[in-house]
Amino acid sequence: MLELEGVYAGYKDLRVLWGISLRVGEGELVALVGPNGAGKTTTLRIISGLLKPTAGSVRFYGCSLDREPPHRIVEMGISQVPEGGRIFTGMSVEENLELGAFTARARREKEQRMKWVYQLFPRLEERKNQRAGTLSGGERQMLAIGRALMAQPRLLLLDEPSFGLAPILVEQMFEMIQEINQQDVAVLLVEQNVRAALELAQRAYVIENGRIVGEGSGDALLSFESVRSAYLG
Amino acid sequence: MTAKKGISLALLVAGVAALWLVPSMGVSDSLLNLLILMFIYTMLASSWNILGGYTGQVNLGHAAFFGLGTLVARILYTGGRPLFLALLAACVVPVAFSMLIGIPAFRLRLRGDYFTIGTLALSQILYITIGNVLPKITYLPIADIQNYQLGPRYHIILASALFTIGVAYALVKSRLGLGMVAVRENEDAAESLGINAFAHKLLALAVSAFLGGLTGGAYAYYQTSYYFNYTFSPPWSLEPVTMTFIGGVGTIHGPVIGAVFFVLLKEWLVMKVGEYHLIIFGVLFLLVVLFLPGGLVEAWERIRRVFTHRPAGKIVLSPSAEGSDLSGNSLASERKEVPMI
Amino acid sequence: MPTTVAQSLVSGILVGALYGLAAVGLSLVFGVTKILNVAHGELLMLGGYASFWLFTLLGVDPFGGIPLSMFALVLIGLIMYQLFFSRLIKLPTEDKIRNSLLIGFGLGLILQNIALRLWTADNRGITTAYAGATFTVLGVRLPYVRVASLVIAFVFLLALQLFLRRTYIGKAIRATAQDWEAATLMGINVHGIYRLSFVLGAALAGAAGTLVAVGYSVEPVMGMHWTLKSLIVLVMGGIGSIAGTLVGGLILGVTESAAAIWISNYRHVIGLAIFILVLLIRPQGLFGAKEG
Repeated sequence: MLELEGVYAGYKDLRVLWGISLRVGEGELVALVGPNGAGKTTTLRIISGLLKPTAGSVRFYGCSLDREPPHRIVEMGISQVPEGGRIFTGMSVEENLELGAFTARARREKEQRMKWVYQLFPRLEERKNQRAGTLSGGERQMLAIGRALMAQPRLLLLDEPSFGLAPILVEQMFEMIQEINQQDVAVLLVEQNVRAALELAQRAYVIENGRIVGEGSGDALLSFESVRSAYLG
Repeated sequence: MTAKKGISLALLVAGVAALWLVPSMGVSDSLLNLLILMFIYTMLASSWNILGGYTGQVNLGHAAFFGLGTLVARILYTGGRPLFLALLAACVVPVAFSMLIGIPAFRLRLRGDYFTIGTLALSQILYITIGNVLPKITYLPIADIQNYQLGPRYHIILASALFTIGVAYALVKSRLGLGMVAVRENEDAAESLGINAFAHKLLALAVSAFLGGLTGGAYAYYQTSYYFNYTFSPPWSLEPVTMTFIGGVGTIHGPVIGAVFFVLLKEWLVMKVGEYHLIIFGVLFLLVVLFLPGGLVEAWERIRRVFTHRPAGKIVLSPSAEGSDLSGNSLASERKEVPMI
Repeated sequence: MPTTVAQSLVSGILVGALYGLAAVGLSLVFGVTKILNVAHGELLMLGGYASFWLFTLLGVDPFGGIPLSMFALVLIGLIMYQLFFSRLIKLPTEDKIRNSLLIGFGLGLILQNIALRLWTADNRGITTAYAGATFTVLGVRLPYVRVASLVIAFVFLLALQLFLRRTYIGKAIRATAQDWEAATLMGINVHGIYRLSFVLGAALAGAAGTLVAVGYSVEPVMGMHWTLKSLIVLVMGGIGSIAGTLVGGLILGVTESAAAIWISNYRHVIGLAIFILVLLIRPQGLFGAKEG
């Protein structure tokens, strides 16, 4: 459903991506792993349209995203949970979720969708009238994911969802991601926690210095020698 | 290279000498008046440029320094003090005043935009206050008016303008000037290199106030009559900014070119369209800020590049946000952008 | 003596509500777009002249004509935004603020001179049949026109508050103000929101200008004056808080009126002095305050 082909991108005179090609199939859970500064977040920004490639193409269900502004890309069915969640701290939990369903398509089924999100994250329902700024780190991350799901995405982009969470919460977070994926939502997961990500993912890409240097099933990469030595110690 | 430098220096000296001799060539008073206006506006713009252009602290209340300069010089001069003393005081008083606001503002690392609107407010306070305290017209001493001679005034104002440009040049070419530019480009990075941002900003403010005050002193010596608060009015804050931008902000010759252009265009427009000249000038200013942030100086560099096919001298100012990113905001947190000023 | 004090207190509140309404447009625009439009006072002036023209040329009642002058300002605001400010929108925040100050400064000059040509430098007021009518409460004289303006200002502020809190678009505006990038990822067209906020700010300036024209008077050079009043209120009240803006406006109005009892010529200096003090005492500013 999603295809990146030979994508180059950067900021001003600093090039970050050097010909990235990757693909996410319908309902797949794909991980993108690599060291800090390799270009993982930039890749997600390219897919969301926050940054436009200088060369190469991004296609979603065969449609080119190159000229689409980011808000149109959300409408087309790609939602991103940015690093750190970036929830609207000055607004209530419920208002955050409502904003998630801002697109015309999502707004029509807002009520059912919200029920589903509350089912996934009962904690959010308990705190729905609270200001989002008063939530704990784990709850914020749940809200960020719930908010992205409100847009009824076909593809969910997750940027470091486990970052800064306590170990016990990390495990819950990964279970949650699996559950979401089983609801027929494809997931592209960017993670520092390489072992957990590779165990979870059906396929994975390894990115270094803005290039894809490895690709395969999660299990295969787990046993891949260079990945083992570089990330798993 | 040295030969070329020698030629430019010779041209410069010849130009100044020619300017100096203009009054003795029997030219009309109106031409002298026009030149005097150019000198005064050059001083006004150059003095603003030191703080606003080189150090990146936009001052929208330069009229406060200019106005204080006129006020002090006028009171001392009409009170019978010697001209030299009046001009000196016109420089010193605005500096003292600028420290009142500069020390707390820069010490507290007031954000640039707060400083800007703070200066706007401060100049308004002075404008209103002077209008209340001295709500009358000030005249030069009778002896001066009866025996008004343009020649000596021309020379004193020309000398002041040369002094202003000289100070600006010396400052900018010194280590201090380099520090000022570093503070403008990225304050944190400058500090990490051991540059004291507070001291550099304060120095730029002091020099800007000093020269702004001198401009006021020259104006007070030149103009026979005006309302005391007129020299504090908003146009005196607006014009240095527009002239500097149109000429080329953050360069030595930019304000000079801007001032000459301003005076000539104003003369021409007043003849052609009367009072509409301010509207046209405002539009020009907006166009420069939006599309030609380096002003006429940059335009000239661009033209020269087209004809000589060689890279022109480095332009300090480059328009930002030409990247393909949707907005620079997220980038700003990662890498400091080159600001427009 | 106590009546004098009460009288100036009341007139302070009456003008303070207008300060609040003037500032709320500036605050909305700055909070959402990070454009600091120092030509906001000139927009207010144009609103005043719009209702002046409507009244003198077409005989439209100034209060009834508020929607018309707001509509005029919507058009002017849209042109101003599309031609000038929209070009700054992609700059990093600090450059955006700095350049918007320059653009606003230049626009202010242009609009002021256009007004001078169109309406001359004279002070203009709108003298309706009921213009001078007053009523007295406990010895304090209250002009009908200004009391009506106070009520209208309150209504506008309340309506804005409800719009931002209750409607989908209002929430999108608040979301964009907090984190434009996250808002984009919600499918919000942030450039549309920026334009809408700017135009809304202009419309509010149009309404405020009408109330100023009908209760007081308008002149081409009033722009700078009202921009400064709005900035003072903004610094006192904080960005994004409509209640704070209203309170800031009332405090400024009352302080000025109180000061005017003793030093009438300096009523406008008092506010500016407070402004500079607040800037220096709270350098991070109430500007930086998150919305509550």
